[in-house]
Amino acid sequence: MPNSVSRPTLTRRRFTQLSGMAIGSLALSGAGRAAEAPDVMLEIGPYTLEASPKHQIRTMAYNGQIPGPLFRMREGKSQSVEIRNRTKDPEIVHWHGLYLPADIDGAMEEGTPMIAPGASTRYTMTPKPAGFRWYHTHTFAGKNLTKAQYSGLHGFLLIEPHDNAAAYDREIFLGLHDWNGQLLSSDDGYMNPVYDVATINGKMLGFGDPIKIKQGERVMMHILNSSPTEVHWISFSGHSFKVVALDGNPVDQAQTVSMLRLAPAERVSAIVEMNNPGVWVLGEVRKHVQASGMGIVIEYANSAGKPVWTQPEDLKWNYRQFAAPGDAAQHQDTKAIELNFDSRFQGHGNEELWRINGLSYPQNSTASNSPILQTGQRYRLVMKNKSMDDHPMHLHRHTFEVRRIGDSGEIAGVRKDVVLVHAGGTVEVEFVADNPGKTLFHCHQQDHMDRGFMMVFHYA
Amino acid sequence: MRNSTIKLAANAIFAMAAIVCVRSAVAQGNYEIQVYGADTVAPKTLMAELHSNFTPEGQKYYIDGVIPTNHQEHETLELTEGITSWSEIGFYVFTSEQDGHGVQWVGDHIRPRVRAPDSWHLPVGLSLSTEVGYQRAVYSPDTWTWEIRPIIDKTVGRWYFAVNPALERTLHGPDVNQGLGFSPGVKVSYDFTRVVSGGVEYYADYGRLGAFDSLHKQQQQIFVVADLNTSPKWEINVGVGVGPTASTDHLIVKGILGRRFDWRHHSPVE
Repeated sequence: MPNSVSRPTLTRRRFTQLSGMAIGSLALSGAGRAAEAPDVMLEIGPYTLEASPKHQIRTMAYNGQIPGPLFRMREGKSQSVEIRNRTKDPEIVHWHGLYLPADIDGAMEEGTPMIAPGASTRYTMTPKPAGFRWYHTHTFAGKNLTKAQYSGLHGFLLIEPHDNAAAYDREIFLGLHDWNGQLLSSDDGYMNPVYDVATINGKMLGFGDPIKIKQGERVMMHILNSSPTEVHWISFSGHSFKVVALDGNPVDQAQTVSMLRLAPAERVSAIVEMNNPGVWVLGEVRKHVQASGMGIVIEYANSAGKPVWTQPEDLKWNYRQFAAPGDAAQHQDTKAIELNFDSRFQGHGNEELWRINGLSYPQNSTASNSPILQTGQRYRLVMKNKSMDDHPMHLHRHTFEVRRIGDSGEIAGVRKDVVLVHAGGTVEVEFVADNPGKTLFHCHQQDHMDRGFMMVFHYA
Repeated sequence: MRNSTIKLAANAIFAMAAIVCVRSAVAQGNYEIQVYGADTVAPKTLMAELHSNFTPEGQKYYIDGVIPTNHQEHETLELTEGITSWSEIGFYVFTSEQDGHGVQWVGDHIRPRVRAPDSWHLPVGLSLSTEVGYQRAVYSPDTWTWEIRPIIDKTVGRWYFAVNPALERTLHGPDVNQGLGFSPGVKVSYDFTRVVSGGVEYYADYGRLGAFDSLHKQQQQIFVVADLNTSPKWEINVGVGVGPTASTDHLIVKGILGRRFDWRHHSPVE
């Protein structure tokens, strides 16, 4: 039944609890597992991250490393995947940015089965589209700020195109993450996560090995913000970034910028010309975040000395600089879906309950309340953020094009799967409904999605 | 050698006990009527508060030369400057206005405070304040007083709880030999909306620690209060309180208007 939807009473928390019973059909016992080694093997298990000698963080990891292993896949080439859950909780792996069927995309709200503790699952997937993607857990954390995206369950995924011009000499993958969160009252009086430790590739500034590069190299930096809740601003002292792709998708106007802004789940791919020998810091622009550890040393060959950090004085970023002028009349048959974001007050000692069009998940995702998509139809999501927080909005299993930000004119050529919608602002994006199945749309802040900020779109 | 050590220790304990355990009830304050929350003012931030307390029904007679509280209007200016993320210091200027006495300066206090840093990950808010100051004898027979006030608070959903089990001591005045008094404050409130919270505040002075006064002599006040959370910059609290015991002013109306001034350089990278 194509229009089947989640039962309204089935919350994420309840789904997690029940998943152990529901997993039988996909879980494979050790005896029944296929003998052939999978192309992709992920084992989820406990891990102690040494962010610095003084910061040992007990968490979960993929294959005993944080970030998880980098997987390179050829676009369109089938991959067998095996995932083993060696934790005490049900788990699930979301392949962020891929056009996968709903039953393996990795969101229980779409119908992907959870992997029970001690169980394994195996399936085959065809990765597309090409670009810098990632994979991560997609479970419920609630007030436990060590679980779900607060943990170390994230890793890089690069889907390589059939022909890669590769206008660079080497690639560097950098993952930004925040740790040791606790819920504290913020200036607005509500409970928000704050963090003691921030890392790049699992290490605090000064405690990991420096990245060694050579003068004259053109380095493609693939940067991922896997933080559960925080936006990050990144600068590389003495250098600039030529941004060529956002969320893995080439931009219309590649621009050279002094800093990057990455909302949770966003990725930036940028080429850096290594033309300024020395020992430099690449790190968070905001002083208190860099002081928590978010930075990494980049060292030229034959250079030595104390790493140099040049403190920027402003935060600069705008999606529009990577876009071409758009034509509002380009797609006359586009159907608009208006999505209003707000929250319901739950007390100053509580997080807010988040709503899309006046309802929280799962109430907003019944057949009568959520959008029904027609295959092949182009849709414009008009996202109006009526809350006091910024929200990184993510659409599963599809790529959208940013068409309008606030009151600016129409734009084109910026294709993404996450877009930051500022407090009080409006962002309009368009996508073609070309991947039937339940499609999850949600704020990528873990605390917000845990508090109802999700909606499932259904295909007719 | 061993005996002399024990004797020395015993003498020290007796001396401390003598300092601590001598006190009787002090005169009513009613200049700053507030149950403290555990949070401190952020560094480079000044919190300016005006406490306005009126006593429609209070003490009508002079006692030991102290001006009666009936129909007194107390205006107290409280300035609190944040020092670090876990400490602050507050200053008070107490005034009183009353028919026949005009506007009078009453006294000044200073109040340093520290709190448990967030990195301790305590399940409750916890801070410790100490306050010392002078007030004129015509408004309080004890002219120099000292207070130490542990502060514990907790927010649970829409509910807020705060307890201030304060200990007070007279440093100069008739009660100087009366030792440490117990003056707790308690607040329970509920968030009705994002802006309006309402609840109850309880203030008491039970008298000397270990030998509380009789109920008749204890000071006890119960206020019905409302807090308006209109903005992070503003603090608004209003309340009406009754004092059911003979030693307490019977009816008090209070209000607190606070404004936060941020001196920090607001560079976006800070």
